[in-house]
Amino acid sequence: MRTNSLKPVYFSLGVALLLQMLPWSGVGLVIRPEFILLTLLYWALRAPHLCNIGTAWFAGLVVDLITGGLFGQYALAFALTAFFAVSYQRRLALFNIWQQAGYVFLLLVFTQIIVLILKLFSGGEIPGWEYFFPSISGILLWQFVIFSRINIDGRSNKA
Amino acid sequence: MARALEHQHHSGFFIRGPSATARLFFFAVLSLVLIATDARLHYLVEVRQGFIALLHPLQVIANAPLSLAENTGEYLHTQSTVVKENIQLKTQSLEHAAELQRFRALETENERLRNLLGAAQSSNQPARLAEILHMGRDPFSHKVVVNLGTRQGIIAGQAAIDETGVVGQVTRVYPFSSEVTLVTDKDLAVPVQVERNGLRAIAFGQGRDSTMMLPSLPANVDIRKGDKLITSGIDGVYPPGLAVAEVVLMDTTPDSPFAHIVCKPLAGIEKHRQLLLVSIPKTERPLSNNAMESPAATRTKKVAPAKRHANQ
Repeated sequence: MRTNSLKPVYFSLGVALLLQMLPWSGVGLVIRPEFILLTLLYWALRAPHLCNIGTAWFAGLVVDLITGGLFGQYALAFALTAFFAVSYQRRLALFNIWQQAGYVFLLLVFTQIIVLILKLFSGGEIPGWEYFFPSISGILLWQFVIFSRINIDGRSNKA
Repeated sequence: MARALEHQHHSGFFIRGPSATARLFFFAVLSLVLIATDARLHYLVEVRQGFIALLHPLQVIANAPLSLAENTGEYLHTQSTVVKENIQLKTQSLEHAAELQRFRALETENERLRNLLGAAQSSNQPARLAEILHMGRDPFSHKVVVNLGTRQGIIAGQAAIDETGVVGQVTRVYPFSSEVTLVTDKDLAVPVQVERNGLRAIAFGQGRDSTMMLPSLPANVDIRKGDKLITSGIDGVYPPGLAVAEVVLMDTTPDSPFAHIVCKPLAGIEKHRQLLLVSIPKTERPLSNNAMESPAATRTKKVAPAKRHANQ
């Protein structure tokens, strides 16, 4: 069964935005996963006709707004990630859960590297290894969502 | 675009519309243009303010669980802790009252002496209490967002202090909130003075370990471990005499002409929920009406470059 309604996409993106905007601090802030990016990847891999590069770009722009950084850096990173997610989406349906998770993890790290490069260009400094914690917590959250079968249409599980 | 073509989506296996590469190219160019516009031309300040104001209700919702938990926690404070705290506060206030009396006497004396000398009056700077809404979203920039904005008369550049010292400076204002960059951020510099000998220097944030450093000072500089740094006040932003940091490391290496000085901020940078935002002092002029006009002058100065661009 395919989903053809845009409502769940935007609803889940809204929830992800709210999670991202919670007043995180301390350790929580460092390991906070990128909720919006995970939601985007989920929809881009499951229903690319509903959530494509444009959606990712606009979501990235919202992330730029709430982080208060330069306009367009998260937008560019999210659009690039969505491009790789969408272009290998059909092949990914043949993979099993662990291979899919590996691919998603690569995409998460890729996004962070793009953001890091853009930040370095605009005068940031090289952060420590804890910069990549959100990717690790992100992939753990991804596994949790996949295994708890929230909103899974069966296709990705059977494969 | 995908939505318009949805009636054709029986199998839905192939994505219609422009190819992924074309989409990527379009959005990549768009974001690069945005980055360049934001970084170099600063045209997007108003756009950002508008969108942040739109997101404000969402922010209030996101903050609701935490503030609810805090309120319940406060409500359930046991009586003994309240009594203990009350006693502590009373003794503290008594001590402060004694100090305040001395301070008042000194202030009047100082004023008289200044009048005698004919020097400019040092104005007292009004401050407003702001509450921290949340830490910055980016854990690698040292910023906090507080609950006062342009609607409450906050302007960019104001100093943020707490009861022990300088916390940072307001760097961006939105209608209902504003962003305070902490002294430990890499982009913030504070003009300081060593309390012991009056030596002037500029302290920069290090961007990590919540420490600051004093770069470009010669190796034979008279700074020791344990020295207290206070604001010098020559920048006209921070009121003079506020504690900033304490030197924790003073190191000289034979191969460098400069001393390696690391200091630790004295203010509770990451502990408090409240800050004081100090107004920028009006420039001291002999005529009082000139001083009244200075905020208006800064405002027109900000608008002027945009006008010039429009004319060209």
